Amino acid sequence: MNNIIELKNVTKEFKVLNRHEGLKGCIKDLFSRDYKIVRAVDNIDLEVTQGEIIGFLGQNGAGKSTTIKMMTGVLEPSSGNLIINNRIPYTDRTKNSQEIGVVFGQRTQLWWSLPLVESFKLLKDIYQISDENYNEMLELYGSMVDIETLLHKPVRQMSLGQRTLSDILAAFLHNPKVVFLDEPTIGLDVAMKSKIRELILELNRKKNTTVILTSHDMGDVDALCQRIVIIDKGNLLYDNEISHLKHFFGIYRTLKIRPRENVIEVANKLKDELYAFEVSITNDDTWISILVNEEKNRIMKVLEAVQETHAIKDMQLKEISTEDVIKKIYEGGVRN
Amino acid sequence: MKNVTGNESGAAIKRRGLVFYTKIYFKIIAQDIKSKMSYRADFIISTIGIIATNIAGFIAFIIMFGKFPSINGWSYYEILFLYGFSLISITPTQCLLDNNWSLRRYVYDGDFVKYCFRPINVWFYYVSEVFDVKGLGQLVFGIGALVYAWIKLAIPVEFLLIMKIIVALVTASLFMMALQNAAAASCFWIQNSFWLLDISLKMKDYAKYPITIFNDVFRFIFTFILPVAFMAYYPSLVILRPDNVPVLTWLSPVLGVAAFYGSYKLWMKGASKYDGSGS
Repeated sequence: MNNIIELKNVTKEFKVLNRHEGLKGCIKDLFSRDYKIVRAVDNIDLEVTQGEIIGFLGQNGAGKSTTIKMMTGVLEPSSGNLIINNRIPYTDRTKNSQEIGVVFGQRTQLWWSLPLVESFKLLKDIYQISDENYNEMLELYGSMVDIETLLHKPVRQMSLGQRTLSDILAAFLHNPKVVFLDEPTIGLDVAMKSKIRELILELNRKKNTTVILTSHDMGDVDALCQRIVIIDKGNLLYDNEISHLKHFFGIYRTLKIRPRENVIEVANKLKDELYAFEVSITNDDTWISILVNEEKNRIMKVLEAVQETHAIKDMQLKEISTEDVIKKIYEGGVRN
Repeated sequence: MKNVTGNESGAAIKRRGLVFYTKIYFKIIAQDIKSKMSYRADFIISTIGIIATNIAGFIAFIIMFGKFPSINGWSYYEILFLYGFSLISITPTQCLLDNNWSLRRYVYDGDFVKYCFRPINVWFYYVSEVFDVKGLGQLVFGIGALVYAWIKLAIPVEFLLIMKIIVALVTASLFMMALQNAAAASCFWIQNSFWLLDISLKMKDYAKYPITIFNDVFRFIFTFILPVAFMAYYPSLVILRPDNVPVLTWLSPVLGVAAFYGSYKLWMKGASKYDGSGS
């Protein structure tokens, strides 16, 4: 078996109480046995080989976290087979943990008030890392990042970027076979983002670690992953090479404008006026977003057309987001 | 500990037994204390706080019981003995299980999930994170009160008696830990479980009185439902009323171990059904 991760028909259902409204409803709920079954993950198949970096994408509530929690052994699948490293994670949680590493973007797993090196020493004991492997790993880290400034700083005094970096280093310390990274670059500036991406890529190459990455930032996915898995409403929507999709978010860009007049009115007018450009238009309270296919129309042309009839207060140009990609897949723009 | 050598990559993962956990625990605690000291002002203020609290509690006790030479056949020094006894037996709960007070918050915010990723026992990993040094202040007061009462009651200092009091203290501590542990674990099922934990803390206030001063209803509750009477009263009867020790006292060490084990199992069951909502 070459697959490090294997999911077959994995389904996870939650029992949720049907809540009633109001005070009367609250009292009713106390005694109610009226449950509904919510399928968070629905019949997912997935195979991952050692050393891959997989971008695991999906909107909030799509079932990403649930799937990851099943793979890490925190949750038990309702049905189906889930094998990580020839083990069932839920029944063999301790042994599974020995061979995986987990980083949750904003939640540090390090000891809050300890200097990083002390956290490392505790992890060394907990994972029973030999002196040899431990020193080798520290040496490797030293060649990748400025480890000396991190090691002696208490985690609570670190900046978010330093903390994320430290968390990633800690997750790789025991040389796990699989590392789960959940939103590793969330809230970081551009420089730190690219530093963290480089680090992940290098660790993956040097240690042949499988990485499962979830992110809302297409930049992360673009920089790191060869393969993308998209999950939506509990279903596997897409599982293919990134090159397949890349084409797609390469050519699409979002033009965001803020009109001087009423946003909703302008948005409605634009839908007619820009009909020829084949764009899709959405709006919130202050911004109108126009998704432009640059293969068909240049963005400047669209902007010009808008400016002809409407006064613009402000504008932005945005790369396509995960949400847009998913929307496009739904619309049938990409074939799996 | 047996050393099992793996074939692949020469990695030797030892079975994680008692020795492993004890070693890790002391390392974590040493780090925790070190880091607590690094918040120096906080450390000094809370030390003063705990001393003041204990002195106040002690003064209240003296004023209350100094007025009556005896209550329901229990002399002043016997009650002081119980008082000291209960202070000592609460110490392990206070020092070792302090993190249980934050459990509700971790579970509610979804942060608890981070404790589930390590290859060690979840309960151990969770409670080991915090060691409350302040509990040691209480221990000093407790020992002081107990020794003073011991002398005043003219109880002989014999090896057997000392062994008995140690077993009794361990027993009482186990009940105290069991109650707090179980109350904390309730947050895995109940959203607003703080009041349960709060009640479990209040219970220790009842523990310092001889159970015979309560009426039958409370006596039943404190014996069979909430094991308050086991936190000081039943175990200390071995020393205070050696001629008239009820069966429950002899059973209490076994019951203590069972209660603690039960609370641990409950905690672990809660942790295993935890679904990490909110992340």
